[in-house]
Amino acid sequence: MIRPQTIADRRASSVLGRADALTKLSIAFVWLIGLAFTTRPGPPLIIAGIALASGLLLGRIRPTDLLRALAPLWLVAGIVVLSNIVFGAANTDPLATEVAQVGPLRITMEALSIATALGLRVVAIASVGAVFALTTEPTRLVDALVQSARVPERFAYGALAAYQAIPRFAEDLTTLRQARRIRGLRGSWHPKLLLGLLVLAIRHGDRVALAMDARGFGSGPRTRYREVHWTVLDLALGVGAVISLLAALALVS
Amino acid sequence: MIRARGFGFEYAGSATPALRGIDFDVAAGACLLVIGPSGSGKSTLALALAGLVPRDLPGTWTGSLTVDGVETRDFGAGALAARVGLVFQDPSRQIVMERVEDDVAFGLEGRGWAREAMHARVPEALRAVALDGAERRFARDLSGGQQQRLALAGVLAPRPGLLVLDEPTANLDPAAARAFLARLAAVRDERSATIVIIEHRVEDAWPLADVILALGSDGAPIAFGTPETVLRDRDRLDEAGIWLPGTVTKPLPRPSESSLPEVSPASPASSRAAAVIEAAAVDFGYEPGHPVLHDVNLVARPGERIALVGPNGGGKSTLGRLLVGLLAPDAGTIRLRDSDPARLPARILARRAGYVFQEPERQFLSQRVRDEILLGLRPDEAAAAEDLMARLGMPLDRFGDRSPYRLSGGEQRRLSLATALIRRPEVLVLDEPTFGQDRLGYEALLEILGEHLAAGACLFAATHDERFAADIATRVIRLEAGVISRDEVVT
Repeated sequence: MIRPQTIADRRASSVLGRADALTKLSIAFVWLIGLAFTTRPGPPLIIAGIALASGLLLGRIRPTDLLRALAPLWLVAGIVVLSNIVFGAANTDPLATEVAQVGPLRITMEALSIATALGLRVVAIASVGAVFALTTEPTRLVDALVQSARVPERFAYGALAAYQAIPRFAEDLTTLRQARRIRGLRGSWHPKLLLGLLVLAIRHGDRVALAMDARGFGSGPRTRYREVHWTVLDLALGVGAVISLLAALALVS
Repeated sequence: MIRARGFGFEYAGSATPALRGIDFDVAAGACLLVIGPSGSGKSTLALALAGLVPRDLPGTWTGSLTVDGVETRDFGAGALAARVGLVFQDPSRQIVMERVEDDVAFGLEGRGWAREAMHARVPEALRAVALDGAERRFARDLSGGQQQRLALAGVLAPRPGLLVLDEPTANLDPAAARAFLARLAAVRDERSATIVIIEHRVEDAWPLADVILALGSDGAPIAFGTPETVLRDRDRLDEAGIWLPGTVTKPLPRPSESSLPEVSPASPASSRAAAVIEAAAVDFGYEPGHPVLHDVNLVARPGERIALVGPNGGGKSTLGRLLVGLLAPDAGTIRLRDSDPARLPARILARRAGYVFQEPERQFLSQRVRDEILLGLRPDEAAAAEDLMARLGMPLDRFGDRSPYRLSGGEQRRLSLATALIRRPEVLVLDEPTFGQDRLGYEALLEILGEHLAAGACLFAATHDERFAADIATRVIRLEAGVISRDEVVT
């Protein structure tokens, strides 16, 4: 049985794909905490750029996949910027520099710069998050959480099962909506659908739990098929990440 | 190996026992086939053997059921999992991990195997089910048949002393089912594990069995013994509605000459009756770049009974949903009489077309059986609904207040069929209608379908059940990889 290499396999075998999930998660946290110390637009822009570039080069993410993952987040960033421009507290400050007057609305330089900084922070978070999600298999994340971070197995494997059931829930919703239509009921987004979805989710959860129990889950100490260990790669990524954060913060000041 | 003495079980909150008075012995390495009508407690027996009843599903236990001399209800969870492997009907409900090898290893990890031993055992278990080389593939990308073999590899990997399979081939197309049973036969021939298999499709499972246990609809045993001795009691088993090898069912009578299409089913010009459904050059995919159906053309007339056959994933269910306007084609046209079914208002569509989904549970819209069957009906149709449910063996005075989700699989299927039949639609699409039906349920279904179709309705049935296809179809359409590979009138 010859298997074509899937896009997911390509990413999993990349530098970022082979790195420990916890390393990547820690880098993301350190970056985002570092960005909290600045309101200038430069650092988040640089961090976002580094994240996207390493996702494409080190993570072997296809540009189209990356764009698709980021699409909804651009929208969020846009909303953050707009609402901060319009509703920024600085707009009511008489000392602030006025840039424009739109009807009753006064827009100031200060509100504009805060809005930009916040928007760029969202862009940075989105970029880092998307690259993390696209280069980290849920299984590897669960392994890292259980083995390195000592997260309880019941919780970690439960979350994995729930994650894997997401496509199933989407199908449940589609089927229930079609079932309503063929029975002549109007309103394909009726609130009653929620009840049906909930019943199906609970029943699916029960069955998966039963199947896991039948395969010896939670019956004693588990051994590990996939061992999680840190390598030079993780060290290199970590050092690189800290240096780029410091550089980003220093460069712009 | 297995010994049952006066064993019985009653689920908490249930009025009647699921199993009662069960006595049997199975020697180590032997294969036991459990047969019985729907609702006879077969699955409960599987859960009891695996120690999941009453540990996970509470209830009252009577008598004794032992594996290797130990009562299964007394097994600690770990001790039991080490001895018993359980394969369920639906592979998507037992595959836990994303990648094939991780899933096979899941059971080994739970039993505390050393890493080196696991890395040696996983490829071995995959080879035993003819999935070698698939280690790093995503389980979700496998076909239904491959997924079920993966599930088998997962439970075989820890070398259980007892292997319990609850209708393992029910979701598979005939070829995949035979491939699965062939792997199981190889396991049996090694005689390293005792096997208990529950099957409706007895024709294929019968040759595997050393002993057979037949259960009645009340959960009490009817017969136990070797395949030959059990068949001596054939009349009693037939009476209980159990499928047996060589059971003969009565096919639906051919429709009268005038309602049959005249010549080729694909050519609309040469027909007598006007088409009720027409699909022309239909393309469809759920996501861009992954076509599910390509260039599908068909014309169906009143009275035609069409079996949609072909492997899992061939596009049968998708075609069915397109024909009754639950999906809209990406390209091409579909006409239901003079209208585009996807654009019809629900109220009108529901009177002209019926659709019964493959998994009844996913189509229930009410919390009580009575509400489910009456949903969307006019008040004057209530009496007919009551009548139909009674004929399907589910009278509303007994079943009306029960939850649809708590019915047996066979009962759920009949309720879902009733919701479509009650509207007397002129196009009826059924997705695996005979799934999990015992012989009595099957015969009732055939009879009611026959009456409905005699009135001139057009039937599409997506089915893996070769018997059903032979019993009902006037025409067989085979879908493979989204393309019609065969379309012929059968006589």
